[in-house]
Amino acid sequence: MPEEPAIKGELHVRSEIVNEIGQAGTGEVERRLSVVERLSNIDPLRKFTILIIMVVVWELYARIGEINELMFPTFSATGTALIDALVNASLLVNVWNSLKLLLSGYAIGIGIAAILVILAVGSRIGSDLLTTLTAMLNPLPAIALLPMAMLWFGLGPGAIIFTLLHSIIWPVALNTHTGFQSVSETLRMVGGNYGLRGLRYIFKILVPAAFPSILTGLRIGWAYAWRTLIAAELVFGGQVVDTSGQLGAEGSNSGGLGWIIFESQMENQTPYVFAGLFMVILVGITVENGFFRNIEEKTVRKWGMQKA
Amino acid sequence: MSDNAVQIHVRPEFENNNLGKAENVDIERPLSVFERIANINAVRKLSILLGLLFAWEAYTQIAEVEPLLFPSFSASAGALWETMLTGEMPKKIWVTVEILLVGYAAGLGCAAILLTWAVLTRVGSDVLATLTSMFQPLPAISLLPLAMLWFGLGASSLVFVTIHSVLWAVALSTHVGFMGVSETLRMVGRNYGLRGIPYIFKILVPAGFASILVGLKVGWAFAWRTLIGAELVFGALSGEGGLGWMVYEKGENLDTTYVFAALFMVIVIGLLVENVLFRNVELKTIAKWGMQR
Repeated sequence: MPEEPAIKGELHVRSEIVNEIGQAGTGEVERRLSVVERLSNIDPLRKFTILIIMVVVWELYARIGEINELMFPTFSATGTALIDALVNASLLVNVWNSLKLLLSGYAIGIGIAAILVILAVGSRIGSDLLTTLTAMLNPLPAIALLPMAMLWFGLGPGAIIFTLLHSIIWPVALNTHTGFQSVSETLRMVGGNYGLRGLRYIFKILVPAAFPSILTGLRIGWAYAWRTLIAAELVFGGQVVDTSGQLGAEGSNSGGLGWIIFESQMENQTPYVFAGLFMVILVGITVENGFFRNIEEKTVRKWGMQKA
Repeated sequence: MSDNAVQIHVRPEFENNNLGKAENVDIERPLSVFERIANINAVRKLSILLGLLFAWEAYTQIAEVEPLLFPSFSASAGALWETMLTGEMPKKIWVTVEILLVGYAAGLGCAAILLTWAVLTRVGSDVLATLTSMFQPLPAISLLPLAMLWFGLGASSLVFVTIHSVLWAVALSTHVGFMGVSETLRMVGRNYGLRGIPYIFKILVPAGFASILVGLKVGWAFAWRTLIGAELVFGALSGEGGLGWMVYEKGENLDTTYVFAALFMVIVIGLLVENVLFRNVELKTIAKWGMQR
């Protein structure tokens, strides 16, 4: 029961408020945009200008500040180094070396993740095994396994592929599994109604329905693998310096991108370090915006599972 | 009007005469003790964990694997216990965690400054978008050789790469979150007369908190991986450091049991941050606010 008011029957009337409105100023309601305004409304143009300004600032800073080229090379020196590395030192071969390792690791990793997830879908024990393994191994940076991998597989591509596998399997398996678990009961029953079982049930119902999470898993797996690969090549670089070793010394073109960065830095060729970094960025942007964006357009966007 | 407009198709009545006798199975029965225990999630997972450990121990004992290549579980646990007692392990952990905290905090600070600028002006937003699209695909660890050149062989190089790995992930995710804040909420903010910093912290941050948290998580994951990797690379060059360095050094000296002990600690720290710290923040914020189921 709400409390009864002390005095009944008394009405509180709020005094009328009159807001004195000043003269309305008529601003510009509609006008043509000037050329500059129209140009600056173009998104790519603005971003491109910013990029150019940054490059100019970089060049000016390095030139006017008279920074030692070993510490911070000018943009022009970096550009020349990049062209030189591409033409004379066949930098693309190093890029391909890295990508080859990455692709084989990625393919095997996805295969293993698929087997684990299929086991997990099929049985409760498999599901428990997968969750326990991913919970334990996902927080472990793959690169930390490199010293053990070098012990087990020697100084070579085997060790790197092992660490790459580790960086791919867990995020892909984790995301796919959570994606599968959140597939709606309706879709599952549709599948059951059609008499789908086992692999056909997984590939015709679960995979399409959970494709956004699978794609996220693939993306995270790629990001971790790319970072792990570069780091592993850097660590190898350190090994090679110690042991006049195996990965880069047997010919100028046998190492990957990380190795090139490390080697150029050891030889104090900082412009080439920047050129290597530039290639790393380029590969990253190509895979993320070219490859994954395309898959996204052709699948989850087309199917209407994800808005722009 | 066409002729068949009045035609009606009547489906013939269909009767299934093959219904067998309905069987009476268990419709309801008490679960046996074993079934009830197996239905407890934690028990199942714990027994899987124990099973894995047991398989590991049995494999190394029975197959007589060279302990230098693959030590038994008991030896690894012994090494972990020993380094904990001698104080070696806590010291290494602290070295790593300290760098991580400094780098993470500095990265968040830089991200906050960039984001504030991006929210307030269009130029800032363009600069942020350009920078993140350029630096987000660049693995922070590949900057380590340059960092060592600029800052020398020391903690500051590690902090530099950690900042780099946190900054872009957080900035990108937060910016996307801010842009997705609904126009209604923005107008509510403007209606209250909020501008500048109060507008960001009272409207955009709470509304975009789900994305911010994702960014923080991704940033942590990258930072942790980068830092361990950077310590490994350092291991190859200098000779001091935290957990990553310990993994490297013990691997070089073939003290494999200590490598496993260090790896175990890396996992434990990762689990603590992801499942305790972030999980709690999530529960106290977006889960409580009903932004996430």
